[in-house]
Amino acid sequence: MKFIDPHIHVTSRTTDDYEAMAAAGVAAIIEPAFWLGQPRTNVGSFQDYFSSLVGFEKFRAAQFGIRHYCTIGLNSKEANNEALAEQVMEIMPLFLAKENVVAVGEIGFDDMTALEEKYLRLQLEMAKEVDLPVLIHTPHRNKKQGTYRSMDIIEEHEIPPHLVVIDHNNEETCEEVLRRGYWAAFTIYPKTKMGNERMVEIVKKYGPERIIVDSSADWGVSDPLAVPKTGNLMLERGVPEEHVELTCYKNALAAYSPSGQFEESDWLDPEPIDQRTLFEGNSVLRGGQAPRVDKPEDDRIIQ
Amino acid sequence: MSYTPVQLLENWILRQASDAGQAWLDTQREAVATGDLKSLYMSFGFAPRKVGKADLQLTERDLNDAAEARPGWMPHTWTIDQAARVLLLMSLPSEDDAAFYATLEKLFQTAEIREQICLYQALQLLPHQELFDDRLCDGTRTNVKSIFESIAHNNPLPMELMSEQSWNQMVLKALFIGAALDPIEGLDRRVNPELARMLIDFAHERRAAKRPIPVELWRVAAPFADEIALEDMKALYASGEQLEQSAIALALVSTASDEADVILKTNPEIAKRAENGEITWREIAQQAY
Ligand SMILES: [Zn+2]
Repeated sequence: MKFIDPHIHVTSRTTDDYEAMAAAGVAAIIEPAFWLGQPRTNVGSFQDYFSSLVGFEKFRAAQFGIRHYCTIGLNSKEANNEALAEQVMEIMPLFLAKENVVAVGEIGFDDMTALEEKYLRLQLEMAKEVDLPVLIHTPHRNKKQGTYRSMDIIEEHEIPPHLVVIDHNNEETCEEVLRRGYWAAFTIYPKTKMGNERMVEIVKKYGPERIIVDSSADWGVSDPLAVPKTGNLMLERGVPEEHVELTCYKNALAAYSPSGQFEESDWLDPEPIDQRTLFEGNSVLRGGQAPRVDKPEDDRIIQ
Repeated sequence: MSYTPVQLLENWILRQASDAGQAWLDTQREAVATGDLKSLYMSFGFAPRKVGKADLQLTERDLNDAAEARPGWMPHTWTIDQAARVLLLMSLPSEDDAAFYATLEKLFQTAEIREQICLYQALQLLPHQELFDDRLCDGTRTNVKSIFESIAHNNPLPMELMSEQSWNQMVLKALFIGAALDPIEGLDRRVNPELARMLIDFAHERRAAKRPIPVELWRVAAPFADEIALEDMKALYASGEQLEQSAIALALVSTASDEADVILKTNPEIAKRAENGEITWREIAQQAY
């Protein structure tokens, strides 16, 4: 079975992770621009980070047979540094039109401050201007309030819910998110957000419509195989295959395809090898599916 | 009748783009011409979505026109979005060279891979090229082969702008990463003893590691080959693979030294083909990669 992990921070992951993801059937991933674990002190750090998301990381993923997409945005925590936030907003037009950018995100609330709200609103307007979907990060603390408030604001800006993914849901938030017509994404992130047994129960309870599973794997203790593991667990626990396909592949495809940048043919039927854009790894993509994994016979020998 | 690069790019796009794409591009070029940077940044990004990404369908005559409009310009690898992006850049006001440089740098710093390829190829048609010699050298430090090749291959700027040291590093790096030497413009013209020494050292490293020596290396190293290098060439000429033998013959023929003649005589068959032009560096490069 093929999987999409529509929310993973692979700049923090190793090539071993990429190999394991490709082997487990992950065909495409989306890397939302987010927090690096410590605050950035100047706009240059954002610029280089965004550049890596649209450039080197996309290229690196391709070497392992994985199609890489990203979302571009000013995250909620760093929206609280107003001087910096202004400069980040200024450089965003340089990035939103890049070819692998499928949404504005992840944006939303952390502490639910006035500045967070200001930059959420400005970025929602920006998404409308460039015709891109939106990825909403919901807060860890005060989650229910933060989630509902985000949806209220989106509705004020008249962005239709089918163009918005609300992420990091749990049992408490998902009913309202689904009721209002949004895509409801769930982060399978060990210990903190959502375990995959709970996820199985949610899909059993709410069905597969508009539910999306992702890993959010990043620099913290997390699992880049969370989507395939959850998909396989669902099958084992009796969730019908079509439901697994929807929640672990097709819904993400439908949610981000309004960007015009996220098409199944990109990975199922890749363009012919283009020597102008690929480096060394072009044999990885030839034929599209099976990644080449060169493991020496004898691990002690370094050639 | 000769054309300017702008006219040529316009014609090529006209042939292939949709009416809507064409109209979009015209509007954006007008906005950029007023110095509107936000329009430049957005339209530069959106170009492939508006005009498509197909390869430009260029005839032999188009390529001749290009070379006439801008000596050294070889757009046979260009795509239609690339042409559109270059037209956008050429619309940007350029009287203030510092401002022009700053805007281009901003685009370079934020460009993804295809955009970088486009920018490095675009420079040859843009004003104030002399300001971008550091940028070119910086670009050759990339990890991405296709970006490296957009500078090194089919691009007259390295030959025109780079210092000897940067030029030498670029040629050596091409061999390191398996990029062909033949498409480097000015390759034979800018051969120098220091470069030859670097390549001969590289050949020795390769030999020590029991890895093959790239055959094009001899084209640049042979004119300044030392005794050890001549020994290497002699050995390869005697027992190497056919492509190696052809390359060595061609390299030795062009040096026209006594030592070269002695080696060539050990396999007169191949030497004759090299002398008659039956072997070319282009074919060797095509077979080698
Ligand atoms: Zn995230």
